[in-house]
Amino acid sequence: MHLRRCPTYLVPIVLVVAGLAAAQEIALPIALPNAPTSLKFAIIGDSGTGSKSQYAVAEKLIAARRQFPYEFVLMMGDNLYGGSGPKDFQKKFENPYKPLIDSGMKFYATLGNHDNPNEAYYKGWNMKGERYYTFKPKAGVRFFSLDSNYMDQKQLDWLDKALAASGSDWKICFFHHPIYSSGGAHGSNLQLRAQLEPLFLKYGVDAVFAGHEHFYERIKPQKGIYYFTSGGAAKLREGDVGKSELTAKSFDTGYHFMLIELAKDKMHFQAISDQGKTVDSGTLTRFSDADKKKLSTAD
Amino acid sequence: MYETVVREKTTVRSTVSTSAALVLALAIAFPAATRAHKRVNHQAQVIADFKARVDQYVALRKKADDSAPPLKKTEDPRDIREAQQGLVERIGAARSGAKQGDIFTPEISTLFKRLLRPQVHDKGTKAILKEDKPNPETVSFKINGPYPDKQPLVTSPPNILAALPPLPKDLEYRFVDKHLILHDSRANTIIDYIPNAIP
Repeated sequence: MHLRRCPTYLVPIVLVVAGLAAAQEIALPIALPNAPTSLKFAIIGDSGTGSKSQYAVAEKLIAARRQFPYEFVLMMGDNLYGGSGPKDFQKKFENPYKPLIDSGMKFYATLGNHDNPNEAYYKGWNMKGERYYTFKPKAGVRFFSLDSNYMDQKQLDWLDKALAASGSDWKICFFHHPIYSSGGAHGSNLQLRAQLEPLFLKYGVDAVFAGHEHFYERIKPQKGIYYFTSGGAAKLREGDVGKSELTAKSFDTGYHFMLIELAKDKMHFQAISDQGKTVDSGTLTRFSDADKKKLSTAD
Repeated sequence: MYETVVREKTTVRSTVSTSAALVLALAIAFPAATRAHKRVNHQAQVIADFKARVDQYVALRKKADDSAPPLKKTEDPRDIREAQQGLVERIGAARSGAKQGDIFTPEISTLFKRLLRPQVHDKGTKAILKEDKPNPETVSFKINGPYPDKQPLVTSPPNILAALPPLPKDLEYRFVDKHLILHDSRANTIIDYIPNAIP
């Protein structure tokens, strides 16, 4: 490939075509059960740079779908860095994920601090024109997307009502800023934790996904809730995961994306690097309501 | 008849003087409480004034919004950009004479600074405000002017949002360095700002 001879405007197209060809050939070490009736989805965080690294991760994400037919992709915010004009959407979303978009893949986004709140009106991200929203892709599973950039009382009241009204077994929240993190540059957002955690515990939230930190981190369960940070689908803060008692597993030497499979009370997860290697994988069991109650009042 | 009127006047006079004496006695006995009560009343008045000014802006924006196709969910990002740009222009035309301090009057600014001061000492707040700050030189601080599209919006710390009066949908408090801006997120424009709102 002679990218140097290519006019600049052709580079994304060349990368997509090259990525498509490569995706046909890539076989990833998928470590998930891939059961026919399970709910399967993928996660990308801090993806909107339009850089080579975004395209490299996108290529693996596209390839993974051939082996693991996930139904939708969650976006953890910072979906568009450095502007939100039509060209930004094209270069930082529509081009890198084109094969997925063309196949009718649904993306559900949350807003990061680099996003223009009007991105919520972009149909491709299924935000319904709202900064925070909820959706239920399957009976028994409900997602809650929050705007952690602006956590005012109005949003907290909405979350309280939305969680209270949800009868789903799996309640999964996702938003940009992690409330548990071992990141050196940012770390846990304690103010957000003080506001959100009581609601998570009150209504038995099971898992929380965030971005913002440009690495991967799986946190040890906190009061019966599983926390993941996945903010390295295009940005990387190498060596930023500090030594912390919170960490169950971390990865900060390469880019990554995640695959998740929910089956009954099990959550199977896998984080895959831009090199196509498994960074972390495993199975977690949803805490029972009785256990959650005990753990939420433990300290 | 005359006697009755005189008796009534005397009763009224005596009630008034008793009340006045009571207020005076309370003011002497509880001067701090009286001062605090006055301060709360004054604060409530200033907040009511702020709310009225914000409501006035919201009504103006609604008019601007109603005069053209609104921002709708779309598959084409160009529609979002055009709707945003159109709204900025209509708002600009509708409040062409607006200037800094129209919403954040000196009195409101003083109150906001007082409300913000204890919040910014929090370690977590300081950390949030430091993260991914926009370059202040890129922000023009022009009333009705755009917030630069390429710059991040600083996350508003939850304790600060809890300390300030709530805002209607699509209006936000945001910080650019030490300055507090009132941001219309749908138009992505600066409505007003308080210079050096935080130390």
